[in-house]
Amino acid sequence: MLEIARETYYLYRRNLLIWLKAPALVIPSIFISIFLFLVFGASFDGVVKLPGFPIEDYNAFVTGMIIVQAVVFSGSDAGFALVTDIASGYFDKQLLAPIHRMSILFGQLLMAGTRALVQAMVIILVAIALGVEFKTGVPGIVTIILVSAGFGITWSSLGIIIALQSKSAQATQASFILFFPLIFLTDAFMPKDFLSGWFKVAVTINPVSYVLEGIRAMVISGWDWTPISHGLWALIGLTVPLVALATWLYRKSTA
Amino acid sequence: MIEVRDMVKVYPDGTKAVSGINFAVREGEFFGFLGPNGAGKSTTLKVLSTLLKKTSGAVKVAGHDVDHEAVQVRQSIGFAMQEVGLDDLATGREFLVLQGILYKLPEKEAKRRANDLLELMGLTDAANRKVGAYSGGMRRRIDLLGALIHRPKLLFLDEPTTGLDPQSRLAIWDYLKQINKDGVTIVLTTQIMEEADKLCERLAIIDKGTIVAEGSPDSLKSEVGGDVVSISIGSAAAQANDEMRGKAKAVLASRPGVVGVTQENGALLVTVKNGSAAAPDLMRSLIEGGVPVSSIGVSEPTLDDVFLKHTGKKIRTDSASGDGVDNAMRAFMGLKKR
Repeated sequence: MLEIARETYYLYRRNLLIWLKAPALVIPSIFISIFLFLVFGASFDGVVKLPGFPIEDYNAFVTGMIIVQAVVFSGSDAGFALVTDIASGYFDKQLLAPIHRMSILFGQLLMAGTRALVQAMVIILVAIALGVEFKTGVPGIVTIILVSAGFGITWSSLGIIIALQSKSAQATQASFILFFPLIFLTDAFMPKDFLSGWFKVAVTINPVSYVLEGIRAMVISGWDWTPISHGLWALIGLTVPLVALATWLYRKSTA
Repeated sequence: MIEVRDMVKVYPDGTKAVSGINFAVREGEFFGFLGPNGAGKSTTLKVLSTLLKKTSGAVKVAGHDVDHEAVQVRQSIGFAMQEVGLDDLATGREFLVLQGILYKLPEKEAKRRANDLLELMGLTDAANRKVGAYSGGMRRRIDLLGALIHRPKLLFLDEPTTGLDPQSRLAIWDYLKQINKDGVTIVLTTQIMEEADKLCERLAIIDKGTIVAEGSPDSLKSEVGGDVVSISIGSAAAQANDEMRGKAKAVLASRPGVVGVTQENGALLVTVKNGSAAAPDLMRSLIEGGVPVSSIGVSEPTLDDVFLKHTGKKIRTDSASGDGVDNAMRAFMGLKKR
């Protein structure tokens, strides 16, 4: 156990160093986040005046969505990091070492959590700079960041599953289209009460909606336990099977 | 150090890469696999190093079973793979230190050994540069060091110098000889005759997943049965044709001391005892038989001749082909070419 922790730590440290050395991988996601704030803030500025809209600051409403999209999309980064190692042969080098194979996966997942955590922090800083008020204050912000880290691990598991199954950089890179509906079939831009028809059904089925609503509640309403607990359940319900599947596939492919 | 019995490896797609090989390597030995691309050399090393699971057979490496004691096997060996598995964004030093740590060295010790090895291989100046910016020779060297940092008693090398310039090749050869002298058992694969000849105490010649001959380079060459006289026939007036070649072969085969006659790129290769003494007789008998001779040369048998004798073809292959695929992959991935 202690060995796994040691190996995971050093492999994680390597992944972190690699990530920091390739700023090109980090900057787009930060840029997109700021861009989304500007675009959504400007185009939906009017909707806050609709009767029944929960808050007057649309930026505050959309903060949750911007965090969730960054974190979900980062799922394909983990897959891409893995196929890059597979293609360069460095993955084999890790498999050749007398280490627990799981340490390699854990190092990747921890890195995915870190990536999501940093992205959430950056977005929160941008939101604060734009005047967004977090109703749950610092404890809420910390919770949002931790939830984002967990959610990053969730979707990175999917990225890793795709990478392991396809072993192809193209397929892994294309996997981001899987994440698209998960992000956009949510009540990201409008409260659920404003939606109707098939879209509302899709939003209700999509577990990402609940995580998003939980985060949003912490931004705009305060410690409102109904959406927050639903969000946590959705997070757990997604994370456990996806991480388990990634672990199982990983074990199988490295056995 | 290594015991392999009836090892078979069939890939999931049905390709039989290794079909029942047997061999053993003693402690301290420098052992080589010589064979062309696709002969099963890399597959064999991958099974021995636990990267691939064998289909059947019994394989023991450094006293451990590769299936049941894989971690012990991995701790005992170092493996420099053919497709150098490097982390392009890490610096040479970072790569080595992490290798040391993964092989259970304390971080401090890993750093100390990394420094020593970098100096030994003349890579100190490049130690803090990203591996992705290294030349082909430097990549091979840093990869080799990565396989040595835990001081394994057994080292696997898959075509360690394929694609390298002569100078880098000589540097690696010298280093390998040195560590073998220091007690490291080495198993390498190669398709370079000279490498097999100069480095290996014992060789297994492998083709299509089977070991076709085994022994020291000298004993293998003496098995060829004599020297090789290479004769080009034909003249400006009478071009060589199949009829003339057939006639020449018949004449040559009937001479005393001739062990065999084969044809390679238009030249006739005659295996004969004491080639220098036999050459005048061969030439005279050809001319008397009405076959013009345009050139004649005598050479001692090479490992290529050994391979030819056992498989009916020469090893000589395009050694760059593997790298071509790799570079295409790297270009596709948006990475720099090596």
